Amino acid sequence: MSWELFAVFIGSSIRLAAPLLLAGIGEMVSERAGVLNMSIEGMMLMSAFASAVGAWATGDPLLGLLIGILSVVPVALLQAFLSNTLRANQIVSGIGINILVLGATTLAHREIFGARSRAEIPGLAKIKLPLLGDIPIIGPAVFEQVWLLYAGIVLIVITALVLRYTSLGLAIHAAGAEPKAVDKSGLSVTFVRYGVVLLAGLMAALAGAFLSIGDIHTFTEGMTRGAGYLAIASVIFGKWRIGGTTLACLLFGAATALQFQLPALGIGVPNALLIMLPYLMALLAVGGLVGRQMAPATLGEPYRR
Amino acid sequence: MTAVDDKPSAVAAPRFGLRPSLLIPLAAVAFAAAVGLALIAVIGVPVADAIAAFVDGTIGSPYALAASLNRACVFALVGFGFVLANRANLTNVGGEGQIAVGGIAATAVALYGHVAGLPLGLAFILPTLAAVIAGALWGGIAAVLKVRSGTNEVISTLLLSFIGVWLLYWCVQSPALLRKPMTSSATLPESLEIPDAAKLPLLTGDYGFPVHLGLPLTLILAVVVGVILARTLFGVRLRAVGLNPVAAYRAGISTTRTIVVALSAAGALGGLAGALMLLGEQYTLKDGFSSGYGFDGLVAGLLSRGSIPGVIAASLLFGFLRSGGINMEMTAAVPTALVVVIQGLIVITLAGAALFIEKWERR
Repeated sequence: MSWELFAVFIGSSIRLAAPLLLAGIGEMVSERAGVLNMSIEGMMLMSAFASAVGAWATGDPLLGLLIGILSVVPVALLQAFLSNTLRANQIVSGIGINILVLGATTLAHREIFGARSRAEIPGLAKIKLPLLGDIPIIGPAVFEQVWLLYAGIVLIVITALVLRYTSLGLAIHAAGAEPKAVDKSGLSVTFVRYGVVLLAGLMAALAGAFLSIGDIHTFTEGMTRGAGYLAIASVIFGKWRIGGTTLACLLFGAATALQFQLPALGIGVPNALLIMLPYLMALLAVGGLVGRQMAPATLGEPYRR
Repeated sequence: MTAVDDKPSAVAAPRFGLRPSLLIPLAAVAFAAAVGLALIAVIGVPVADAIAAFVDGTIGSPYALAASLNRACVFALVGFGFVLANRANLTNVGGEGQIAVGGIAATAVALYGHVAGLPLGLAFILPTLAAVIAGALWGGIAAVLKVRSGTNEVISTLLLSFIGVWLLYWCVQSPALLRKPMTSSATLPESLEIPDAAKLPLLTGDYGFPVHLGLPLTLILAVVVGVILARTLFGVRLRAVGLNPVAAYRAGISTTRTIVVALSAAGALGGLAGALMLLGEQYTLKDGFSSGYGFDGLVAGLLSRGSIPGVIAASLLFGFLRSGGINMEMTAAVPTALVVVIQGLIVITLAGAALFIEKWERR
């Protein structure tokens, strides 16, 4: 493999890992507090659609991103309401939301773009990082990404710091591990858990917008194709830690990037096998490498005072 | 992670009349249908036209009726599997992948298993069995992961679904696997048509009303699964493991074996559903042939709240919804995605109402 190809591989691995990473970190925080959002998939799809329509209608990708984020708020509130207030089964309600969003976005897409095929959608700008971007060969391939990715990395670092060093981080952790203790300390478990679902929604919204207006500048029906579930798998793989989740996402991103790289190298691996690879790796990851006791103690269980 | 927290409804003594467990699903369906009608109006299609197209596509002709019934069988089989595994508090959401591997196995045996000349219906029985075994193995993977590493079966069956669907894509894309011999670049990525002997016999022998052997088979399995759940030791074991695995283990029940058998059985039913689709209706394996059927079956299982008649009712509903939805798209320009919206609303409403139903039934 030449250096050029290797640099392109690294660059596209990061690009393909970006949506998983954004959604995965949000989901990790939520799971730490005890709420499992199977609806990450639906939230991503909602935002991918809304931000694409927003960018197309206003001509401004930034407004599109904003519309994408706003569109996920009701979805996240619905998930939070179902899993915290109605104490519904989190898996079932999440899958229900995914079905609803898939139907709604497909329906709306047909209505809006039906006649017009492949409308031109303005996308978010790419930014070349100073210094790093000037490295020959590697610079343009690796350090020239959509700005949303850099913003996401900043958000992830802030999240890591908040989780580790603040009382809010402690409260989030405790809401998942010892909700009764949180309750006794005078803080509302429900309040914390609503908050983390909204955060998961925000991050999933960024991830969805990255897919549509960040990466390929168009929307296709059901375009998330299980990325949300991969994000959830990466949280499990990463043992509910920021570093682990990030590595897992990069691994899945690299596995996806192989799809485009191996044919370029003339290595004849069936395309379907390569598309399947991230899911296969996720299965192996959740199946073989994670112990039982790692998950937050009350993950998936609604809290009842 | 614990899965479903609604207890199997069969634990409660059977009561008759309009129970909330019956009323609320009906209300959910009515609510979702109302939203669907409103959406049709928003799209700008005359509601009367849409309804006419819907009725036409469901019971308007013997052919439409048969197509709806055949679909309902597929959903019901996946739904039975869901209910069976759910009795042990296992949530199998892998129907999609199980249908896919079932279809692959059935096609492979029907085309390349030299079955065409076999007597006694073995020509279609063997491919069906292959599908059942493939589905059972696919479900079994999730079971083994659950038992050995404690992997939540929801995430593993979901990932297995994606893998199964891409496996299907691989099989129909590669001439070395099931793709028909390429004579030109225009050769479609699909398998050859299976031999006539491997096709499931039609009940009436009339192509105008193509209900196949799958319908009686599904009804027999409804009774079998119902009896297993309600009347056998295995049914008791399932329920014991579902309600309290630790107590079940202390009582001498092998939780490991129960989990493996339950998830494999659910997978086997999914594989059988794939066989019915392929051997009964489609006859050639195509990419995406299972599109959404596994999820519809899952939703039928969820809606039923653990009862086999409930699965049948929900499957019929979805069979008609799908058929009607397809016809609405073809003749009234209403996208089939509308049906997906309706289903999503039903699932969400029922998930949200589960607590109320439970409280009500305990009074």
